[in-house]
Amino acid sequence: MSIAVVTDSTSDLPVDLAEKHGISVIPLNVHIEDETFLDGVTISADEMYRQLPDSKVIPTTSAPSVGSFIELYEELAKTHDEIISIHLSSKLSMTHNSAVNAVEEMNASSTRISVVDTQQASMALGWTAVRVAEAISDGASLDEATDLAKNLSERAVFIGMVDTLTYLVRGGRIGKAQGFVGSLLRVRPILILRDGEAHPMERARNRKKGIARIKALAAEHAPLEKLAVLYTTDEADARDIANDVAEFTPDGVATVAQLGPVVGNYLGPGTLGLGLIKAESG
Amino acid sequence: MQNSTVASDSTGAILLVSMIRATANSIEINRDTINALNVFPVPDGDTGTNMMLTLRSVVDDIGDDASGTIGEVANRMARAALLGARGNSGLILAQFFKGLSESLGTTDGEPLLRGSSFAKSLRIAATNSYKAVPNPVEGTMLTVYRECAEVAEASAAKNGSFENVLSAVAASSLETVRRTPQLLPVLAEAEVVDSGGFGFAVMLDGALRALHGEEPEARVVEVPMPGGTKFSGSVKADFVDASEEIDWGYCTVFAIQAEDLDLDKIRAHMDQLGRSPIVDGTDVIAKVHVHMEDPGLALSAGLGYGQISNIEIANMDEQTAGWASARRGDATSPPVATLAAPEIAVVAVAAGDGLTNLIISTGLGATSVVEGGDTMNPSVADLLAAVNAAPSNKVILLPNNKNVVVAAQQVPDLTGKDVRVVPTRSVQTGVAALLAFNIDLSLDQNEKAMNEVAGEVGEGGVCQASRDVTIYGHEIKAGMTFATFDDDIVTVGRDPLFVLIKLIEERADGAEIVTVYTGEAVTPEQAETTTKSLEEKFSGFDIEVVHGGQPHYDYLIAVE
Repeated sequence: MSIAVVTDSTSDLPVDLAEKHGISVIPLNVHIEDETFLDGVTISADEMYRQLPDSKVIPTTSAPSVGSFIELYEELAKTHDEIISIHLSSKLSMTHNSAVNAVEEMNASSTRISVVDTQQASMALGWTAVRVAEAISDGASLDEATDLAKNLSERAVFIGMVDTLTYLVRGGRIGKAQGFVGSLLRVRPILILRDGEAHPMERARNRKKGIARIKALAAEHAPLEKLAVLYTTDEADARDIANDVAEFTPDGVATVAQLGPVVGNYLGPGTLGLGLIKAESG
Repeated sequence: MQNSTVASDSTGAILLVSMIRATANSIEINRDTINALNVFPVPDGDTGTNMMLTLRSVVDDIGDDASGTIGEVANRMARAALLGARGNSGLILAQFFKGLSESLGTTDGEPLLRGSSFAKSLRIAATNSYKAVPNPVEGTMLTVYRECAEVAEASAAKNGSFENVLSAVAASSLETVRRTPQLLPVLAEAEVVDSGGFGFAVMLDGALRALHGEEPEARVVEVPMPGGTKFSGSVKADFVDASEEIDWGYCTVFAIQAEDLDLDKIRAHMDQLGRSPIVDGTDVIAKVHVHMEDPGLALSAGLGYGQISNIEIANMDEQTAGWASARRGDATSPPVATLAAPEIAVVAVAAGDGLTNLIISTGLGATSVVEGGDTMNPSVADLLAAVNAAPSNKVILLPNNKNVVVAAQQVPDLTGKDVRVVPTRSVQTGVAALLAFNIDLSLDQNEKAMNEVAGEVGEGGVCQASRDVTIYGHEIKAGMTFATFDDDIVTVGRDPLFVLIKLIEERADGAEIVTVYTGEAVTPEQAETTTKSLEEKFSGFDIEVVHGGQPHYDYLIAVE
């Protein structure tokens, strides 16, 4: 019995981590003007962020089609008996819905597929997939892996400090953070993904204070099981934060990961953040 | 036109076009009344406008081109109505055209505009409309469609002429409209009848006049009120006030085009995401109308089914507020920001348009401003009134002036509300404290966090002496400009900008951010010069210059 692990490109899982754990990553679509790109496959994050500030047409994103899920599941079914498919918050994307529909379409198939809506995004989702893959290689069953994925999603936290809320607003993902829109002062909003959608957390008066606040937030969530420091364009700042917060992880390492084109489309250049999993309490 | 049936296909098409054009004119003439009746599902006073725009898109699409069979014309109309449908009422109206397209001209060689086919089209409109909304409500256009269908079927069974059936339906529709307040209590409360239902009756009136060749083909139709009373022309006043309290969100309308659409599935999906969704169309095109706080969610959900187009998003909270304010005849209420459900309200004191806007824009939940400052300290009564008017029983009060702190501290004992005074001694400190306000935290936690921030802000100002004065032990000559910082005189000079730079040099050492608020005496050009000079001069910390518009002080500064 072998179980395949699938997640989507909004997990922002670095390629080496995905390969190491044998995780299949299905890309979402990025639409810029008349062209459609595959998230992280035919458009890189850097390319996206270069275009983002001056693109006249607002890039949009869409979920992988039901067909592409079926294709991937059928391919994996050749070498695996079961599949666990772990995805982005269903409140932000139709990805989870596509996966569920694909499973319904394939109902005659003998492969058992479990689809999990983590209510998370970015590395909060990515780490969930990694931990599930680790548990499976330690012998967890599909049911155990599904329970673990749900448990991990509840302990997963995605926090982002954006330079501006413009991208979130124009992408229609502002959610409950709309109260942060409109201040005449240049503030750096810090948002958290809560119940699957963007939620206003606090406001830093400038970037420097915001970076200090991100470090403090890592400490406030400690002890941690997994931690990634996230960025769209400012890798050096992310590395600086990672150096200071690595001590809160069990192995003393904080991974630095770039936010991919889809998530980045809604957060914008200059974003810094954290994707973490809190240690199980007790 | 007295023919009992219209035998020729092309004549039928021409007649259909002229009747639909008459319905549009009829709605246009009665539009304001229909708008004034609109209270359900959202009281935004646009039913008449939406019906008019929907009909206009049908009329524009057809133009003078009544060519083709009556069935083909009806099909074109149905498609135009669906694509051009505006608002809830527009989408339900599109069902009527769908009914026409499915029942007219379907039988070869038979008279084409017949009473029975019209009855059938009303039946289809009724059935589809009840399906298009997830929670059908009686006392609306749905009821009017259904009862019209019943009357039309009974009438067609006795005398199958189109004219006979249309006359019966036009008369009965007004009686159905008259009964809508019995079926939908909100209408009775507002002392109105259903706006969309009345709109449909108005359309039938226009169509019948066109059929009879009457001039003008459209006229003002009297609103059929219960008990034979007259419609007052507006909604009852109490109802206006109550409706403003509800959070309506955004009205989101768009079309989805794809190869194989499952309307039931899209409808169920939209019902999960938002309120009062209407989804209708065909397997290749769907029109969605849904009310929700986050319109982006509906659009992304739509993208999951196909390509989306014809997007329209309207803020119904603004519409409803505008509607309520227009009906109350008032315009001047204190500025209140109501973006989120207010768990905790903030009342802040400020003088100057810039500072007032800044506080309102920065506040979360409900933030209101009491006008006041150095020379015009608000009284305890002013503060108490603002606190009592705040839309929450938990209030944080920011006096924002050292001379107002004591007055503010009297307020908690004078009201039944739980009021916490964060003793901000200046408006610039108040703004910094406001930025620390967090809707997730309790009143205690917010009070603590805001106090902490307030304690960390250094506050200063640049001001010209209007006469010889002694301040903090320093004698200052009339006409000189001086800078204060935390109850001390820092420097005196002639040029305000020079004094400001000196002040920042002396007191912003080790700061992370300095915020400068320009006063009412500073012109936009001067403010620009100030911004440039400060940005060139200082690099160790961030500087932000914003318009404060405060009296007396050319500049106020906050050092954090």
